[in-house]
Amino acid sequence: MIKLNNISKYYPAGFGKTYVLRNISLEIGEGEFVSIMGPSGSGKSTLLHILGLLEAASEGEYLFMDSPVQKLNEKKRTELHRNAIGFVFQAYHLIDELTVYENIETPLLYKGMKSSERKSKVADILDRFNIVGKKDLFPSQLSGGQQQLVGVARAIVSEPKVIFADEPTGNLHSEQADDIMKLFKELNEKDGVTIVQVTHSEKNAAYGERIIKLKDGWLDV
Amino acid sequence: MLRHHLLSAYRNLKRNKTFSFINIGGLALGIAAFLFILQYIGIETGVNQFHENADRIYRVINVDKNGESWSELEPGFAARFVENFPEIEAASRKDNGITSGVVQNEENDLSFREADIHYVEGNFFEVFSFPILAGNASGLNEPNTVFISKSSALKYFGDSDPINQNLILHNQFGKTIYTVKGVYEDMSYNSDFDMDMAFSLETLKNEANLNGNGWANLNNLDSQFAQTILLLKSNTNVEQLEAKLTAYRESVSREDDGVSFKLQPLTEMHLGASLNDPLPTYGNIKYVYILGAIGLMILLIAWFNYVNLSTANSLKRSVEVGVRKAIGADQKSLLGQFLMQTALVNLIGFLVALVIIILCRPLFNEMIGKDLPLFAHLSPSVWLIGALALLLGTLISGVYAALVSTRFKTVETIKGLAKSGKSGSFLRKSLVVMQFGVSVALIFATVVIYSQLDYLRNKDLGVDAEQMLVIRGPAIYGDNFDSRRNAFLNELASQSMVEKYALSGAVPARFYNFRTNGFTHPGSKPDDKYNSYAFVCTEGEYFDTYGIPLKAGRTFTPEEVRVDWNSNSKVMINETALEYMGFESAQEAMLEGIQWDERHLDIIGVSADYHHLGLQSEIDPIIFYPQQYGQFFSVKLAKGDRKKQLASLGNLYRQYFPGNPFDYSFLEEDFAESLQAEQQYGLVFTTASVLAILIACLGLFGLTMYTVEARIKEIGVRKVLGASVASVVALLSKDFLILVVIALLLATPVTIYLMSNWLSDFPYAIEINGWMVAGVAILALMIAFITVSFQTLKGALMNPGTTLRNE
Repeated sequence: MIKLNNISKYYPAGFGKTYVLRNISLEIGEGEFVSIMGPSGSGKSTLLHILGLLEAASEGEYLFMDSPVQKLNEKKRTELHRNAIGFVFQAYHLIDELTVYENIETPLLYKGMKSSERKSKVADILDRFNIVGKKDLFPSQLSGGQQQLVGVARAIVSEPKVIFADEPTGNLHSEQADDIMKLFKELNEKDGVTIVQVTHSEKNAAYGERIIKLKDGWLDV
Repeated sequence: MLRHHLLSAYRNLKRNKTFSFINIGGLALGIAAFLFILQYIGIETGVNQFHENADRIYRVINVDKNGESWSELEPGFAARFVENFPEIEAASRKDNGITSGVVQNEENDLSFREADIHYVEGNFFEVFSFPILAGNASGLNEPNTVFISKSSALKYFGDSDPINQNLILHNQFGKTIYTVKGVYEDMSYNSDFDMDMAFSLETLKNEANLNGNGWANLNNLDSQFAQTILLLKSNTNVEQLEAKLTAYRESVSREDDGVSFKLQPLTEMHLGASLNDPLPTYGNIKYVYILGAIGLMILLIAWFNYVNLSTANSLKRSVEVGVRKAIGADQKSLLGQFLMQTALVNLIGFLVALVIIILCRPLFNEMIGKDLPLFAHLSPSVWLIGALALLLGTLISGVYAALVSTRFKTVETIKGLAKSGKSGSFLRKSLVVMQFGVSVALIFATVVIYSQLDYLRNKDLGVDAEQMLVIRGPAIYGDNFDSRRNAFLNELASQSMVEKYALSGAVPARFYNFRTNGFTHPGSKPDDKYNSYAFVCTEGEYFDTYGIPLKAGRTFTPEEVRVDWNSNSKVMINETALEYMGFESAQEAMLEGIQWDERHLDIIGVSADYHHLGLQSEIDPIIFYPQQYGQFFSVKLAKGDRKKQLASLGNLYRQYFPGNPFDYSFLEEDFAESLQAEQQYGLVFTTASVLAILIACLGLFGLTMYTVEARIKEIGVRKVLGASVASVVALLSKDFLILVVIALLLATPVTIYLMSNWLSDFPYAIEINGWMVAGVAILALMIAFITVSFQTLKGALMNPGTTLRNE
């Protein structure tokens, strides 16, 4: 599903360049639950952003579902964000002006889904996550754990093939964190969603099947 | 999706209250100003356009060798034109102010002094398309007929049918009876011809109705008192006709004065063809342009606020944009979302503007000196242009704000690394400079206008205007008039409240009796006979009553003013006339006297100069001619209860002159009225500058807020390092004040140039001095500083502990 060949990422710095990622080659299969680990500044987030098509690699080849990502235009990329990729952020990044219901509905809106279909999908998710009672609240009225729950709900509502999560539990208490990780596990096992998460915590990483370690931009094997 | 955009936009506005208030408030003021001015321009450009034959109607204008032009023509030309030039379908004349007098309805004993009444050609209502409410347009072809406006009908006849009733006109042509043959809809703001009554000019064909005023003979080619309007046949070559008419004029004119005829299209009679059109117009195209520019600038300032605040705010919203992109939003839907917000802000602004318009209409009407209805009837094209301008501005400001807000790379926004671009901040700074440049220019202009007004109001006129009551003499005479007048004057003299009084044919602030030339003396140069002198026909008490000192000689005796016009041989002159005539001294003038064509006149006295017409024109050379019983009674009142004084004088007046309206004014008010145009300018510029600076400051306030927000950590660090509140405020304010200084440097020279130009039209004007420049600069800087310091102080006073904490 995901295949990286010699991916590097660098930024211009003075007369030279600063490498963030060097020669990364890796493969992630459909249905896998992968954790990316590594110390601060090792390039974890950059790798995740490249995987999630939020950022382009400087060198190398990236095949997402067998198509070379570098050659995709903006429109195709947006297409993938709408249909194949879901994101969960450390800081939740819910849209403050929208209610829980509306936040979850937004990806479907961008997808151009019909109103009736949207309603049933959002209702299903609310039901499944047990947050029906909170649907008319605004993000600021929720606790961190609840916000992240909505964040996950928003990520999966459009039934993506893969979820990229950047330290999804970084701002949460351990109890809340466990809930979220269990949810990921369940999504991975029951729904067959591929999950790629960046994490600092060995405990969270253990929920996954495989750990990819990064150090100073190199794959640490 | 649209609903989603609308909801997001609405909630966003609700959350960012300051942002919304500044933008909506500013836009509402800007749009209100714009709509007011659009309406004004629509009305001004629409004047006279409604006549069915508008494209075939032309006004004949005299243009002399110096390019001076005027619209009064010798009345004898009209018929001759029609007779000689087949391309002219009809000619229609309208006098230029010889009709005014007292109109009386004898039946119900109502009489009023009327100024806006005119003699017009019988075909007037056929050539023009003023709506006729009663009677037949051709009804004015008969002598002794009159058409009256709807309001006049109500005023003189109440509810009864005015048709075929009589009105008596008492004016310089004596007492003449007219029969009402038509009633027309009130002429209003869409017409330059604005008359309450139209008397048939035909009436003056009868010598008996001229009352000895031979100059008014309708067939004459000597005295210019009527506008002549031509209805041309379709497809007439106007330039050729102008040449033919001019050639014809040369062939019949007795003098070779080099005057030529121009034909001014009716459609250009109000504003002219362009700024450079030299022909006389009723309106003022310059004013239209100035107001238009001001309206647009105020609206631009409001839109600049929107652009500035949106782009300054874009950093704050960048995370939202990034997230939306990550969950599948494309550029189109993001632009849509931001445009929706712009549209919403503008729409709410527009609605508030409508409320402002409804509330501020009286102020606006005062500004333009017209009484307009709430939404005047305007051509659709004006509204179309207005709507387009509003849409275009909304679109441009919205698209720009949207582009800036959505330009961030998703990943940067999510990481919190997004930075506001350099280009955006340069644009913001430029827009602030423009906003303050315009505001400073308007404030400066206001200061200059009011300084000039103040100067004109307070400059010594050379005339004692205080407590000076000017009463119009009676126009309805009746039996034993002479004895009643003398009795009235005796009564007047015996009143304790009357300090002095004088009778004269002309009074200060109200033009002269007339102007004429042909004065020479042995020492004068050949061209001196073309010098024009103003005539004031008066009795001798004029000078004492008005406090005008005599420089030499004496004033007229009661015997001298009683002498018949043509037998008189004594005049007085003012100092300017003395100079014009080229005399070395008053003594020389009084010794030599002066020749007026064939007549020799003794100069018996020389008066000091005074500003007869106020300060908007140079002092004219005046010849005072002895005449008794002028139409103005000037009464110098003792200080006291004005209401009581007026009431008792009114009673006296009505007792001795029954049927005559007691019309009076105070000289001080008459002079003040002559400054009306300048007062209007003052009001317009005050309002405009208040609006401009208010909207600009709203924007500045918002910008400072965002800047302080963005730099709050830096402020915290500086405070931890020991920076004082004052130094932090100075640091934060400096950037903005520099912009205001740049605005000052740019706007000041331009404004000085423009306002010097304006002042140069006045013969007596102030000079723009360093104090004004400094005053405006200090004012602008102070306003800006106070605006900015609300936020900078708040930022500087904040506890670094709060601001530096990482959440």
